Amino acid sequence: MIIENYQHKMAAHCESGSITSLLNHAGMKITEPMIFGISSGIFFGYFHKMKSFAFPTFIVRNKPGQMRKNLEKRTGVKFFTKDFKNQTAGQEALDLLISKGIPTATQVDMFYLDYVPSWERVHINVHFIVAIGKEGDVYKVSDSYFPKLVDLPVESMNKGRFAQGSMSPKGSIFYPRYVPETFDYDKAIRKGIKKACFYMLSLPIPFLGIKGMKLFAKKITEWPAIARDTEHLSHEVMKINILLEDQGTGGAGFRFMYATFLQQASEIINKPELKDFARELMEIGDGWREFSLFAAKIGKNRDLGPDKFKQMSDLLYQRAGLEEDFFKRLSKTIN
Amino acid sequence: MNQVVTEELRTEIKNLIMETLGITGIKPEEIDDDKPLFGGENALTLDSVDALEIIMAIQRKYNLRIADQNLARSVIRSINSIAEFLVSEQGKHS
Repeated sequence: MIIENYQHKMAAHCESGSITSLLNHAGMKITEPMIFGISSGIFFGYFHKMKSFAFPTFIVRNKPGQMRKNLEKRTGVKFFTKDFKNQTAGQEALDLLISKGIPTATQVDMFYLDYVPSWERVHINVHFIVAIGKEGDVYKVSDSYFPKLVDLPVESMNKGRFAQGSMSPKGSIFYPRYVPETFDYDKAIRKGIKKACFYMLSLPIPFLGIKGMKLFAKKITEWPAIARDTEHLSHEVMKINILLEDQGTGGAGFRFMYATFLQQASEIINKPELKDFARELMEIGDGWREFSLFAAKIGKNRDLGPDKFKQMSDLLYQRAGLEEDFFKRLSKTIN
Repeated sequence: MNQVVTEELRTEIKNLIMETLGITGIKPEEIDDDKPLFGGENALTLDSVDALEIIMAIQRKYNLRIADQNLARSVIRSINSIAEFLVSEQGKHS
C-alpha cells in the first residue's frame, strides 16, 4: 500500500526535513528552518583523537536524535522512536507501521540507496528517509534530497538500515505519536536560541562550540603529519567540503538555515533586530562556503603544502572570531 | 536579464562556467543545454568541487544567494536548469 495523502517535499537537510514532513503530515504547520532553530540544531564540534574516527573530523549540527529531543521539550510533540538489533524485527516493525498508514522515518547508510546516482553515493550512516508505502518487495520512499518519491527494494532498505560502522543506524525508526494543536512559539523560539548560544559559547568541553572551531584552527596544521600519504591527506581535506556543503548541511555548515530561522523568528516574536542577525549569519555562512571551496580545491589539486594548512587555520580562526562575537550578541539580545 | 530563457543567457552561463573553471578546448555550442553537467553525458563533466565553484560564481555575477544546497544541486543540473533558475529569480525581483 501507498499512503496517499503524504506530501513529499525537498528539504535542506535530511533529519530536519523528515521531521518537518512528518509533522506537516500530522497537521502541524511548521517550516524546516523553524524546526532547526527551535531544536537548537546549529552546533560545532572538532574531534582530533576519538576512537570512533580514524582521522580527525568535525560536525556542524547537534547529534542525530537531539533535534527531536529538543523539539519534544519545547513544542510538546512526542515522537515514537525505536532501534533494532534484529533485521527481521526491524523490517516487520516498519512494514506494520506503513500498513497502518503511518509514514515512518528511518535512518540509513546513504550508500545503499539505489536511487542515488552512483557518483553521489558515499557511506554516510546518518541519512534519514521516510517510508510511505510498500508494494511487493519495494518501498516507496520520500527522500528530502530528491524532487520526487523514489522506489527502494527491501533488500537495499535493509542493508541501509542495518549498515555497520560509526554511528550505525541500528534500523532506527521514528514518527510523531502526538502533535499538540498549538504551542507557545515565542517561548520555544527563545529557548531554542538560548540553548544554541549555550552550545556555541558555554559548553565546558574544549572541542565543542567556538572552542571546537579554535581547536580545529590550531590542529589542522597537524593533519599532514597524521595522514598516511598525500592521497589520504587530499581525501580528508576534501571531506571538509563534503561535511560543510555537500551532504545535507542546509548550506555553509547549516549557517544559512539558521539564518532563515532567525528571519522567520523575528516576525513571530516581534524582534526586528533578529533580521539583522540573520543577514549577518548569511555573510558568515558565505565565509564558510569560501573556506569549503578553498579546502576542496587544494584537496582536488593535491596542493597540500604547509602554507595551505596555515591559510586554512587562519580562515578557521577568522570564522571562530566572527561566530563568537555573533553568538555573544545574539545571546544578549534574546535574554 | 530577460524574463525568458534566451540563447544569449545560455551562452552567458556556458562562458561563465568555462571561465570559472578555466576550461578551454570546448566551444559553448558543444555543451548540450539539457543534458546533465555531471556524470559524463555532456561535453562538460563536472564534479562536486566544480559545482560549488560554479554556485559561487553565479552568486557573484547575478548578485543572489543559493543557500540551500539541495536547491543548488538541482539548479546546476544542466545549462537549462541554471537559466530557468536565473529567470525565475529575476521574476521575483522585477
